[in-house]
Amino acid sequence: MIDFILPLFGRFHPILVHLPIGILAFGIILVFLSKKGSNQHLDAIRLAFLLGGIAAVLSSVSGFLQYQYEGFAWDTVQFHFILGWSTVLASFWLFYEVNKESVFPKHLKWKSTGLFGLMLLTGHLGGNITHGEEYLIEVLPPEVLELMGVALQAEQGLVIPEQGWEQLAYYDQVVQPIINQNCKSCHNPQNLKGELDLTSYEALLKGGEGGSVLVAGNAGESSLYARLILPKDDEDHMPPEEKRQPQKEAIELIKAWIELGGTTNSKLGESNISAETLEPFFHRVEKPFYPEEIVEAASAETLDQLKFEGFFAEHVSEESNWLLISCINFQDFNNQDWTKLTPIKNQIVYLDLTGTEISDPILDSISSLPNLTVLKLNQTGISGSTLAALNSNQHLKNLYLNKTAISIDQLNLLNNHPSLEKVFAFETPLSEAEIPKDLSFYLENDLYQLPPLPTDTIEY
Amino acid sequence: MKQVEKLLNELTQQKLERQTRRHFLMDCVSKMGGLALAPLMFGCDTGTAKKSGGLDLSQRDLNPLAPLPPPYGGKAKSIIYLHMAGAPSQLELFDYKPELAKYHNQPCPESLLEGRKFAFIRGVPNLLGPQANFAQHGESGAWVSDFLPHFSKVVDEVAFLKAVHTDQFNHGPAQLFMQTGSPRLGRPSLGSWVTYGLGTENQNLPGFVVLTSGGKTPDAGKSVWGSGFLPSVYQGVQCRSKGDPVLYLQDPDGMSRDMKKNLISAINTVNKEEFNNYGDPEILARINQYEMAYRMQIEVPEVMNINDEPEYIHDLYGTKPGTESFANNCLLARKLVEKGVRFVQLYDWGWDTHGTDHDGSIDMGLRNKCREIDRPMSALLLDLKQRGLLEDTLVVWGGEFGRTPMQENREGKTQSFLGRDHHGDAFTMWMAGGGIKKGASYGLTDDFGFSGIGEQVSVHDIHATILHLMGFDHEQFTYEFQGRPFRLTDVEGELIRKILA
Repeated sequence: MIDFILPLFGRFHPILVHLPIGILAFGIILVFLSKKGSNQHLDAIRLAFLLGGIAAVLSSVSGFLQYQYEGFAWDTVQFHFILGWSTVLASFWLFYEVNKESVFPKHLKWKSTGLFGLMLLTGHLGGNITHGEEYLIEVLPPEVLELMGVALQAEQGLVIPEQGWEQLAYYDQVVQPIINQNCKSCHNPQNLKGELDLTSYEALLKGGEGGSVLVAGNAGESSLYARLILPKDDEDHMPPEEKRQPQKEAIELIKAWIELGGTTNSKLGESNISAETLEPFFHRVEKPFYPEEIVEAASAETLDQLKFEGFFAEHVSEESNWLLISCINFQDFNNQDWTKLTPIKNQIVYLDLTGTEISDPILDSISSLPNLTVLKLNQTGISGSTLAALNSNQHLKNLYLNKTAISIDQLNLLNNHPSLEKVFAFETPLSEAEIPKDLSFYLENDLYQLPPLPTDTIEY
Repeated sequence: MKQVEKLLNELTQQKLERQTRRHFLMDCVSKMGGLALAPLMFGCDTGTAKKSGGLDLSQRDLNPLAPLPPPYGGKAKSIIYLHMAGAPSQLELFDYKPELAKYHNQPCPESLLEGRKFAFIRGVPNLLGPQANFAQHGESGAWVSDFLPHFSKVVDEVAFLKAVHTDQFNHGPAQLFMQTGSPRLGRPSLGSWVTYGLGTENQNLPGFVVLTSGGKTPDAGKSVWGSGFLPSVYQGVQCRSKGDPVLYLQDPDGMSRDMKKNLISAINTVNKEEFNNYGDPEILARINQYEMAYRMQIEVPEVMNINDEPEYIHDLYGTKPGTESFANNCLLARKLVEKGVRFVQLYDWGWDTHGTDHDGSIDMGLRNKCREIDRPMSALLLDLKQRGLLEDTLVVWGGEFGRTPMQENREGKTQSFLGRDHHGDAFTMWMAGGGIKKGASYGLTDDFGFSGIGEQVSVHDIHATILHLMGFDHEQFTYEFQGRPFRLTDVEGELIRKILA
């Protein structure tokens, strides 16, 4: 009948711990406020250390009970436990010191500082147990973390290769990673919430305080699945409402695994899971279109100046430092205006000089843009005599030469360009020229036609 | 606090918008007396100091179409949206249903009709087999009918969505839903959202241009390109493809450009003073419209003139200058996008094939409509491709819903022409260009083409995908109005990843 008393008292630990902290801190403050030779605060200090010590005992006992009844592992709590009791001893010792004589004991400030350190460390370890090791530093800016030499290790979620996913071991390579990401932080040997450990198949089979969590072949009966699909506000719902929830596809995968028999030797391909369900987990390295290098952002004044001059000048996206430059409202831009762009020559990735008054010499200037990816020279006086200069633009991918006088001999100079992918040369001499088959890039020089059909003129 | 401020501003704005001459006269009754009394009591100070209306004048207010970077790098810079108003029949164009042909003229199974409501169909209609011949085309093997012989040559550029669904079955609400994300009035159109979010590249042209053909504008009226609760400056600018593109844009005889400039700057000075006094943002919109109209005077006639296009381009599109046609509008769309216009919206009217007359028949009228768009829309894709514009221009094609696999039996009678009723369960749309996977096909429909049976997408999903391609996260792209943030996709919408490159 009174079995509940002890665990209940254990659950008061989170409240009780604040008592000794407050009381002892107050005593320590008084120690430091005392002037040399003055015994003014001595009575108060004595009382603070006595009450603080008693409160520390209550905290430590309730902490021990919590450890006993709430499924914490000794490994996790041991230092917190030891330091907690040390705090108890230290406060009583200081009380004894102060109580012994009616004058201020020697080195009391040093000793109090030690007690304070002890208390701080105990509290910190306790906080780590409740909120997780990274709770405190999580919010620090990444630069600071780097300085501290800490790398936050986020539990990597499920990643599945797009090809050959059918051959993956269903438990080890699919279910376990999902559990690791969503359940492990509370269900591991150190932190046995509900006495359930989900870090391995063997542990999973053992189940928790409510018995087995897996009923092979029956997902609805397995709490490993059933609790995931309970309404979020149901108290049995897992993961707890305030925690990150698994994706619906991940839940689907767990269900299919249980229905397949819930063993370690099934393959993902044996289930009725479709590639569509796996879509969110496919690992795709999308290569960004613009270079991956990181450059300094152009200053706001520089951009305003460019806009004032008549350029269209904008960032590729809000987070990007790359710049798009267009002369769409600056049609009398000519070779002499180039200097206006030199302050941002590292940031330009997209340059549209369509319809401007530029001529061939500007290609040499353009070749000095290290990150240029798209270049539009449509409808300009570019004839291409110095087109080879563009070979030094190591990131150039798309080159637009529509309505210029470019010829095939000049274009050939760009053959084997390190990065060039597409050249558009609509309405140029190239439209009629014979194009070599082995160009290293795709050339769009067609003048497309849609030949007339008899049906074009039939009225129904 | 910021939100409260925003609400108060909104209130002021709403009040200002509704202030009419009548209010003034009404106020006169009570306030003229007060006016006379005031100096007697307070001397000359009436206690109403000049206020700017509590609105901050930011750079964006003064130049609302100034370009902005997208939150995320977008694959597309511009959009050309081809809307076939009236809703074309997917069963004669893209959704090949040989099974339906076998049941032609047989009564529709009850199971399809149970609990359903149609716009015109009553009782048990007969099934109507496909009236076109289908074949697979291109490397992607896309099914296209012989109603679109030219388009069948460019299918490899396109990604089809074959199971789009909408919950509206009348034109007006369905068009509004397709263009504004809500079947009821008051929401900003897709084009307004995009120009609001990105501004426009060319400062001498509007950011959002609307072109119509087919003899009528969409049933839902101009709200389909309206700006809803966004500032009015982001609404679509309708340009005519016949005659003056924008009415009254030309200077009258004897008015020189300098004179015009002086005139406009004088008007704007007065308007700015007016704004400082009353703080009505509509005044700002007006200042901007004057300035833009002045700049547009040069650029618009040039960009809207297709006479100077070379002969082979006219042959490609099948354009005839001086007429109002879908072909001319397609060519104009290309020219506008080439000139840095953000959003070009085309509406072609005349796709409502109920079978009530010759023009509205599935086997004849629809064919004529298809012939009108087949060459131009295929030409548009090819022309964008050869100029390299397809790299960063998104082309979207579709109607507001689809059509039934059943012959329409208006008022329970047999009709003299073949026709299909409105149907929103599963219809076809396609997208091409910036960021779209070439030759993709997404969506499955049942054997009659009545409902989607897999890979269905909603109108919100399409909006989410379009916004994604323009560099937005549709869940974060919001506008604060009436005390809550509004989204184009409301609370729905999922990216259609399968059609992304």
